[in-house]
Amino acid sequence: MHYDGYPISIVRHCLESEVKMMKDDAEHPDLQSRDYPICEDMSYQMKVWRFERIGWYLLVLLMVCGLIGLFSRGLLSTRDVNSMDGSVRVEYEMFHRNGSMNSMKISVNGKPETQIELDLSGEMLEGFSIESLQPEPLRSRSLSQGMRVWVQTDNQGQATLYLTLRGDGLGFFRSHVTTPGSPGVTLNQFIFP
Amino acid sequence: MDSVLRAAAMYVALMVLFKIAGRRSLAELTTFDFVLLMIIGEATQQALLGDDFSLTNSMLVIVTLIAIDVGFSLLKQRSGWVSRLIDGEPTIIVENGKLLHQRLRHARLVEADIMEAARSSQGIEKLEEIKFAIIERNGKISIIAQEG
Repeated sequence: MHYDGYPISIVRHCLESEVKMMKDDAEHPDLQSRDYPICEDMSYQMKVWRFERIGWYLLVLLMVCGLIGLFSRGLLSTRDVNSMDGSVRVEYEMFHRNGSMNSMKISVNGKPETQIELDLSGEMLEGFSIESLQPEPLRSRSLSQGMRVWVQTDNQGQATLYLTLRGDGLGFFRSHVTTPGSPGVTLNQFIFP
Repeated sequence: MDSVLRAAAMYVALMVLFKIAGRRSLAELTTFDFVLLMIIGEATQQALLGDDFSLTNSMLVIVTLIAIDVGFSLLKQRSGWVSRLIDGEPTIIVENGKLLHQRLRHARLVEADIMEAARSSQGIEKLEEIKFAIIERNGKISIIAQEG
């Protein structure tokens, strides 16, 4: 049996060998149905045992997925994206869980000691509550879909904004972080129940 | 609305998980099983209630859980198929003093588990003295001794 090392292939391999083993077993005298002292249906019982075994593989797969960050905080979930022109950088979690909090770091590059406008738009504010925003922006205002904040750059032209987001919604949320004159970055996030 | 959905989803999820774990998993509580059960209870409680600790929410969750439970028991009463699906069936694992090894392997049991049940329920010392050992639907092993 060939498998290429990916988790799905390994699970498929395990399932196939499991089904084959169960089929081989079906002829064994130990596994024939008895009718005394109880009336058995061993073919059904074999299905139950097969369900238990396949279920166990799925539980292990879910555990591995959890470890690699499919359900937030891990290799698969942590993203670090830059805009095409390098002026905006966002580090965030792609996968969130409803009710849990995760951080987001937005770094912008501009002229030294100036104020930069930063737009947080899209579906972000519909799916998330911003629990904290540090440092406090110089000003902020609402947009038709999102909000605009003004941040002060340092003497190297950099400014960083730390957000704590709490996932309130469910499903996919697509949002944008942009500065004037920059294409900005698009964030794709998913909130699990 | 979400309290009812949460409780229903949690009921179904736990039922599937304990089906995967098998009927033996919590039948004979060891000290560690007891601790495990408490941890599962704690994790479940957080998911069921969320951050709403109101009396209404907790009553809604309890009402939903009991309603589903009673609903399933009524379904089980009417349909043998549902009853078999939810509760399973008993399985013989020792027949006339002989272990049915293939069955033991699938049920994740060893001879020591059967002898433990034999000693505690019938005072039986040897495997040959057992006529039948059966894993019941609740996961307990019942022993029928050889006659005479």
